Amino acid sequence: MIKFHPTPELIEQFVTGILAPAESLMVSAHCDMCKYCRDLVDTKTAEFAFDHLELESAAASYDPQFDMMLANITQQPAAEPRDRARVNTLEQEALSTTIELDGKTFELPKSLHRLVQKKGNWSSLVGKLWQAPVDLGYDGVANFIYMEKGGTVPEHTHRGSELTLVINGEFSDGMNQYDSGDFIYMNGDHTHAPKSDAPEGCLVFSIVDQPLHFTSGIARLLNPFSHLFFR
Amino acid sequence: MLVGIPLEHENSAIEPKECAVEMSDYLVKVAEDRCKVSFARVFGFFAPRLRSYALKQLGNEALAMELVQDTMSNVWQKAHLFNSEKGSPSTWIFTIARNIRFDMLRKVQNRKEDICADDLWPVLCEQTPDANEQALDEQVTLEQIGHLFEDLPEKQKIVLEAIYIEGKSQQEIADELEIPLGTVKSRTRLALQRLKGMISDYD
Ligand SMILES: [Zn+2]
Repeated sequence: MIKFHPTPELIEQFVTGILAPAESLMVSAHCDMCKYCRDLVDTKTAEFAFDHLELESAAASYDPQFDMMLANITQQPAAEPRDRARVNTLEQEALSTTIELDGKTFELPKSLHRLVQKKGNWSSLVGKLWQAPVDLGYDGVANFIYMEKGGTVPEHTHRGSELTLVINGEFSDGMNQYDSGDFIYMNGDHTHAPKSDAPEGCLVFSIVDQPLHFTSGIARLLNPFSHLFFR
Repeated sequence: MLVGIPLEHENSAIEPKECAVEMSDYLVKVAEDRCKVSFARVFGFFAPRLRSYALKQLGNEALAMELVQDTMSNVWQKAHLFNSEKGSPSTWIFTIARNIRFDMLRKVQNRKEDICADDLWPVLCEQTPDANEQALDEQVTLEQIGHLFEDLPEKQKIVLEAIYIEGKSQQEIADELEIPLGTVKSRTRLALQRLKGMISDYD
């Protein structure tokens, strides 16, 4: 069951379109998986639209340019409804909706389908950990990360922020237990060491805006190289 | 040339509820008959409001007018995608404007991210049915399952029961159990694989 959701502020920024693109993608993918937030998004969207496009009085901003614009628009033809059968086959051929690792197939939420083509190869990290980078053209770093049963990410803290979406499986980080669909936000105040004990392991999608900072044991030695991790 | 379509400058007196119903009817007429008079009503109500929204968001007169133009063109061309059961005209038109604004800013600010509004909010996409969902029913019949069913792990059993006995869709199950659709799909797939294995053992 999903227990961790984006904050109401984040949902609101997402709805109004002012949330940054990479964060928006995470919220959108969470909403694919979470009916609660999907409904919240719908409600917030309707409220915002009502406030700004219905309640708003329009008289002051009438502009004669509009007459020309109207005439212009109504001269355009209607959009051809697309040939569904054709579009379907084309899109399904082009778009795989799953990613694979080690014989396992993971179904991705709709918003992440386009990432399948942007995903790099899986590489093995320390401690039964796998990662595949995703090229979002994003300033920070986006990765699919897979923890095998017993797999652990060394304890670390964040200089910037880390957003994680659990796509399939369960993991815990010493503070909480997370399940498929959970949306997790971490920043400089949090130190954690994610670990999966689920028999099927755990696949997450994660974006960080700055390299991780490892805090414990031998992993501290990794810090000078931490920019190589999750990149 | 277009002559004789009255552009209403003043309709702020319409009550909100009525407004939604009235605008819905106009949109339907635009979709069905390409009715220019109906579109002029929709345009007259929303264009000025969109413009003040756009001005606040973009802070630039020319961009604001471009946003109004693009939004209302989409309304005219794709009125057939409006569905009053899913939401009010203002909601639909706002989501179109928001998406255009998102992609406009992406260009203006020269953002590097390869994420466009359609990825985030598929507002103007024609719905396509999910191929996996349709194929499911044909994979195993209830008679085949029979008593083998009891041997499934609890989580898989719940999902299969909901599909085969209660006739629910995978999306409905995901919503009810508050788990992601992908999880329902993989549980179903695992359960079916397992059942098929059991059936062949049994034969
Ligand atoms: Zn949620």
